Amino acid sequence: MTKITCTAAALAVVLLAGCAPSKPAVDPAVKAAMDRWAEVGKLPDWSGVWEIDWRNTRGMPPRPAMKFTPAWQVKADTYKKNQAKGENLQADVANCVPPGLPGIMSQPYPIEFLYQPGKVVMLTEAYYMYRQVWTDGRKAPEDPDPYFNGHSVGHWEGDTLVVETVGLHAQNRIGPGIGHSEQLKIVERIHRVDKDWLEIETTLTDPEVLAEPYTSTTSYRHLEDELREYVCLENNHDSADEKGRPGIRLE
Amino acid sequence: MNTHRIALIAAAASLAFGTTAVAHHSTAMFDFSKTIEISGTVKDFEWTNPHTWTNVTVDGNKTAVYGLEGMSPNYLSRNGWTKRTLKPGDKVSFEVHPLKDGRKGGFMVSAKLADGTVLYNLPKRPEK
Repeated sequence: MTKITCTAAALAVVLLAGCAPSKPAVDPAVKAAMDRWAEVGKLPDWSGVWEIDWRNTRGMPPRPAMKFTPAWQVKADTYKKNQAKGENLQADVANCVPPGLPGIMSQPYPIEFLYQPGKVVMLTEAYYMYRQVWTDGRKAPEDPDPYFNGHSVGHWEGDTLVVETVGLHAQNRIGPGIGHSEQLKIVERIHRVDKDWLEIETTLTDPEVLAEPYTSTTSYRHLEDELREYVCLENNHDSADEKGRPGIRLE
Repeated sequence: MNTHRIALIAAAASLAFGTTAVAHHSTAMFDFSKTIEISGTVKDFEWTNPHTWTNVTVDGNKTAVYGLEGMSPNYLSRNGWTKRTLKPGDKVSFEVHPLKDGRKGGFMVSAKLADGTVLYNLPKRPEK
């Protein structure tokens, strides 16, 4: 790109002689930013929004069962046993506390992906939240504050985005009644299979809770749609008490 | 058939890490094995998250008001509903999974409008 450089003082001369074209002086910082955005343009097209295939119309095999450590197997059994007493039937999400990762990726509302240089952002319509995945080469934080959606770093392996997440909130559940330790790490491999489908293979590792890493695959259907607002506290009639007993407000 | 459709929602619940397709709570409050019909006049229709809520004055008993939980506006707007689908004063017949605790309320399965149109709370979107 060339530009014409004229100064006010030269204007009179310009009228007679015209302006001399000069070499473009592109600021190196601007050039670097343009190059970074050019890289974004090479990423796979995940535009539109993606809705979990909760009816399994794609006919995927059922998810495997988690294998717990002995201590957590006891907790899982107790949790189920107490359901017969009317407890553990509803979680704190009924009080509009967001589920956090991994649950936030399994809500019946769409997810949108946004790209920036060095960062992928996932917007989750459910609970009106976001996840930021740093793809600029940084390492996962060593001692992060607990976040519901954790702290994520990622990298591209071809058309697959590999996301590693740590620093998850103690309140998050990895299954019904199943908590986690600070060692929980979640790795997601995200790729677009074809025009209609996006797949996320999720592996949970937590040696305190899981006897072995747990891997499952979830399908998301492409929708030409846009995200809607979701403010859970707008008008919530539902509740759960501390023992997971459900409530509903009729008036 | 409607029960079956909700059963699919419940199946999604286990698929989805214990969260449910009714988004933010389980189905434990409702008796999914029963479907009752409630005909009446819409008192109000709350087009709000995390769930829509419809209060219905039951025909023949002006003191009986049923509160019906439905799917969210996010969900329903993608399945043919709008904030104007139900209006105060509308005569509507609802299929409902009643509350287990016997109070006047439940989960709205479907709404049959005065012109005969039937709208569902669960998906009718054609598959690709």
